[in-house]
Amino acid sequence: MGKRVYIAGLGIISPLGEGLAATEEALRDNRSAIRPLDLFPLLHGEPLPTGQVRGLAEQSDLPRTHRLAHNAALQAMASCSTPPDLIDAIILGNTTGGILTTEALLRAKASNKELYRYHGLNSVAEYLAQELGCRGMALTVSTACSSGAVAIAMALEMLRSGQAKTVLAGGVDSLCRLTYFGFHSLQLVDRQGCHPLDADRHGMAVAEGAAMLLLTTEKPDHPLAELLGAGLSCDAYHPAAPHPEGRGALMAMRTALADAGLNPTEISYISLHGTGTPENDLAEAKAVNTLFAAPPPLSSIKGATGHSLAASGAIEAVVATIAVAKDFLPANTGCQNPDPALGLTPLRQPTTQRTTAVLSNSFGFGGNNGCLVITKPDRFSPPTPRRDKAGLAIHGYSCLTGAGNTAATMSLLAQGLPFAGTADLGSISANLPPNLVRRLKRLPRMTLSLALSAHQDSGFEAKPAAVFMGTGWGALSETHDFLTRLADSGEQFPSPTDFVGSVHNGPAGQTAILFGATGANITTSGGDYSFEQALFAANLMMEEGQENALVLGADEGHQVLSPLLDPSIAPGTLLADGGGAFCLSRQKEGAHCLVRLPFYQSSATEGCVDSLIAALGGVQALQGKYAILLAGIPAAAREEGEEQLARFIAQAGLQAPVIRYREFTGEFASAAAVAAVMAVSFLTSGKVPGPFVSGDDLALEGNKNAILVLGLGRYLSAMEFSRP
Amino acid sequence: MNTLTAELKVKIIDILNLQDLSPENFDENDRLVGGALGIDSIDVLEMVVMVEKDYGVVINSQEVGEKIFSSLASLAEYIKENTPGSSS
Repeated sequence: MGKRVYIAGLGIISPLGEGLAATEEALRDNRSAIRPLDLFPLLHGEPLPTGQVRGLAEQSDLPRTHRLAHNAALQAMASCSTPPDLIDAIILGNTTGGILTTEALLRAKASNKELYRYHGLNSVAEYLAQELGCRGMALTVSTACSSGAVAIAMALEMLRSGQAKTVLAGGVDSLCRLTYFGFHSLQLVDRQGCHPLDADRHGMAVAEGAAMLLLTTEKPDHPLAELLGAGLSCDAYHPAAPHPEGRGALMAMRTALADAGLNPTEISYISLHGTGTPENDLAEAKAVNTLFAAPPPLSSIKGATGHSLAASGAIEAVVATIAVAKDFLPANTGCQNPDPALGLTPLRQPTTQRTTAVLSNSFGFGGNNGCLVITKPDRFSPPTPRRDKAGLAIHGYSCLTGAGNTAATMSLLAQGLPFAGTADLGSISANLPPNLVRRLKRLPRMTLSLALSAHQDSGFEAKPAAVFMGTGWGALSETHDFLTRLADSGEQFPSPTDFVGSVHNGPAGQTAILFGATGANITTSGGDYSFEQALFAANLMMEEGQENALVLGADEGHQVLSPLLDPSIAPGTLLADGGGAFCLSRQKEGAHCLVRLPFYQSSATEGCVDSLIAALGGVQALQGKYAILLAGIPAAAREEGEEQLARFIAQAGLQAPVIRYREFTGEFASAAAVAAVMAVSFLTSGKVPGPFVSGDDLALEGNKNAILVLGLGRYLSAMEFSRP
Repeated sequence: MNTLTAELKVKIIDILNLQDLSPENFDENDRLVGGALGIDSIDVLEMVVMVEKDYGVVINSQEVGEKIFSSLASLAEYIKENTPGSSS
């Protein structure tokens, strides 16, 4: 029997109010909370309708996103009748991080980088981990408007596979200028509020909020509901518009039902994505009508809440839980005249009706789709137990660095020379047709170039089916240019192109379009551990049947933003960027090497070095296995990182050479991806070049032929590369 | 070719980064959106912003937009007809 995953606790804060009771009451009243924006002053015109959270407690220097997430997380922990001693992991969907604060700082031309320390998306999940005492992974998922649902889907997989017993998962986003003006520049905002599924709908209302679900495989005394299944897909069609026939939406719904082991007839209610844009609602309706011969009762709550982006999937998972717990279905608030072209009959009034299984839809930019199935606990058969998936094997690789492409980088590496810096735009996109990249700035160009080269190196004819991408800071050029033009034009003429390009999952979405990769498409943003998080996501979510997938890590060095945001870039630090990409499968035959991530934990944990050694098989195994250690110590964490490294080397009695890889790559968040490429290239050639280790060539033969790549600092992570 | 058309060619090549195109071989009667240039809805919105910023002409509805942006000539025509203070 497979493991059941229960919803043990919930937290929610949205425009409808704070807490489950307030949320349920607002939904029972069929009340819309969409009002003109007053969170920040506007230079021009009437404020647009938004879904703004009212009455959030102010707190010194914490950005709004962090406060929203913290509020929901505390509720989730408090609502559980027997709160767990330990949360094994936190998985948070987020697209805005501390940007609302950053926007104000940039306008004030603040140069004290301490003030920007909460900018990164990862800082929200890490703040929660710190406040809740979670020592495991704090993983940040950024797949635009499906982030919350994708985070919950990943938590489900972690729990089912036994990697965790309790996970806190959800989503958060705060209103900010970037999303407020960005969606408006795309003409996706309805000036009259939001009317999903209405014949006279003209768009969405940008909103904010947070919701967290405490998920566990240990059956609580009073489980609220069961998370029975999830499905992910990617449209691989357009960076911002849904596939017109709802192709990806259909695939995600189908996958979620199959994952839950349910037939469409067993679904009692569909919580629609239903943003209120003409395109989304039509595409979603087509997908629903294809999958369901006679669709069950359905509605979108976004006419009441607005669209809270990364939070929406989690907020709607909470609403789905209320639905099965209370046998209550919310109305499609704001819909007066259902659009006959949709062929759907949304619920016009809140309805009390026995509800056993809910399908909750979330779709987003980049064509990222995530669907969840939430049911009454123990009502349906448990999931079938899965056999363990085979490990990941690397078949192709590529990198971009200050030196340029893989060959140029490896040539310097062979001479033991550093390659830190920023290669010019032409050389990082030399293998890309100009028409493909004319709208793309630095990060998406690097990503596409890396992806093409890695896939080419694999020799696979089949295109990659899934994409997993890690980036610490996302598309800084687009973000910077959007905010600059917004400010320079007195908030009148922001660029829609830059807005679409600014989302963290833009590059992975472009990669999916390039290859037609319709499987899972997950972007992680874990600061200096972003690549490790992408590798974790790949191992967790890559399906056995998929022939190959891409795992990437990349960051761009931006003249203005990188020195402000990245704590490892001090005055005088050489601006550096780049990344690495890998074409992976679960088939060992013909692979360059195998890769795994045996360890990832907060370094604040007592005995974390002992745990790391144990996870690597103990002192003896470790000494006999690793030929070289590549250590990643971000400059900002030099002291603690060096201390951890020294402790590890001493306790493990490691004799192998130790190389601090940032001395070669330079300082950027996803430098670990380049370190991984170094490791793979050494294994491929069978030796570590002598000049690199200041000695003779180091042959990778016998039993001692594996390479360890450690991430040190706030978290301790270990990647292991070995022969097939 | 009038000044407005010539001006628009330069602007559009610039804002949409149409590197393969020069003002000389940019035929104002060629299909603009959905044609060989690969111009899509995001580009249309970028042009909408440019038209409003540089000519003070607001193009709001996406359906109308599609018709206006069918060719550069039709865009120039629309701007001419709707420029504030224009006689037509």
